[in-house]
Amino acid sequence: MARRKFATLKSFLNYIGVEGDRTIFTWVSASEGDRWAQVIKGATEKIRALGPANKIVKTIG
Amino acid sequence: MENIETKLREEAKRLLLEKKVDVIIGYEEGTLPLTATPCFITKPEEADKLVWNNLCTQNLAKFVHDLITAHKNSQKRVKPEDRKKKVIGVVARGCTTRSLIIHLQERQYERDEVYMIGVPCDGYVDGKGLKVKIGGADIVEGSIDGGQIKMKTSDGDKTVVLKDVLADSCLTCRFNNPIISDVMIGSPAPAMNPDAEYNDVKEFEAKTMEERWAYFTKEMEKCIRCNACRQACPSCYCPTCFVEQSQPQWVGIGEDKSDTQVFQFMRLYHMVGRCVDCGSCVSVCPMGVDLRKFLKKIDKDCWEFFGNRAGSSMEDMPPLGKYDEHHDKQDFIYNP
Repeated sequence: MARRKFATLKSFLNYIGVEGDRTIFTWVSASEGDRWAQVIKGATEKIRALGPANKIVKTIG
Repeated sequence: MENIETKLREEAKRLLLEKKVDVIIGYEEGTLPLTATPCFITKPEEADKLVWNNLCTQNLAKFVHDLITAHKNSQKRVKPEDRKKKVIGVVARGCTTRSLIIHLQERQYERDEVYMIGVPCDGYVDGKGLKVKIGGADIVEGSIDGGQIKMKTSDGDKTVVLKDVLADSCLTCRFNNPIISDVMIGSPAPAMNPDAEYNDVKEFEAKTMEERWAYFTKEMEKCIRCNACRQACPSCYCPTCFVEQSQPQWVGIGEDKSDTQVFQFMRLYHMVGRCVDCGSCVSVCPMGVDLRKFLKKIDKDCWEFFGNRAGSSMEDMPPLGKYDEHHDKQDFIYNP
């Protein structure tokens, strides 16, 4: 079940010290164009407020 | 314990003589003093090798899965009507039966392919902890008697109280007696201290985000990607682990910092509703990574969110395979 996976994933990421707010999970139907826009707008704002993700980053080279 | 050992040997002999099982997985005395190692017994006369004491560490459910899978693979080219079932007898304590229940819930094999010889458990000795306790001296000879470990070491004779060197997972064990068994040997062991099982996790949760991240990175830097934790874990039985998959490659091989973090994170996360806290991964880790701190959190979440303890009941489904509309938390769902 995706919802249970996400509930535990969010909590576990938060536990190891990666901001749980970065995990965003919701349902949007293909017919809900407006809601989709809102979700993305909201998500972008939330993540912008958190700043760049510099944990678990791989540098190549 | 002696009594249980004798009964265990008699039972194993009987099962092999009556051909109720093809092989018995148990523990025998290890090659080093104060160790026990898994063994596979196929002949009745070998049953006297079996031991059962506080040194039996590994979760034997892993080998049950390995043997049954290998046997099934060997039967692939046999006509369906000629295929034979192999019955595995296993010396099972609480955590081993929990792992076996998880295998059964996940339809890895049938209930009649495994014969569980239940034994009560009062915890196993954490080998690394013992070594620290005696100041890193080498053990030459040792015996467990009446709640005490008496040892001859390179640093003179030493005596340690057994309770002080039990593994962390045993001290707060909730299921130290078999949950299901075909035959139970001995009477149930007294309860451990399960009320304290999440104390470590609660303490860690109270720390700040940066402290938690610092601890996670510090622990994961120790990891050398030897995959011992995965090999020892009864719940890690995928034919191809995500670590070794190359199409797509989920995580790089080698010791890159972020690859190690991703490997550990993903392995830990795959244990939602599947980790029985047997401590096998912790006991085999050559670098002493504190895996339990993270695994216990997963266990706690699973209990708090879904009211499920991994492998605690035969009737249960795996928690990630179902959904409870009325009791599941909704607060993680994002609503703009």
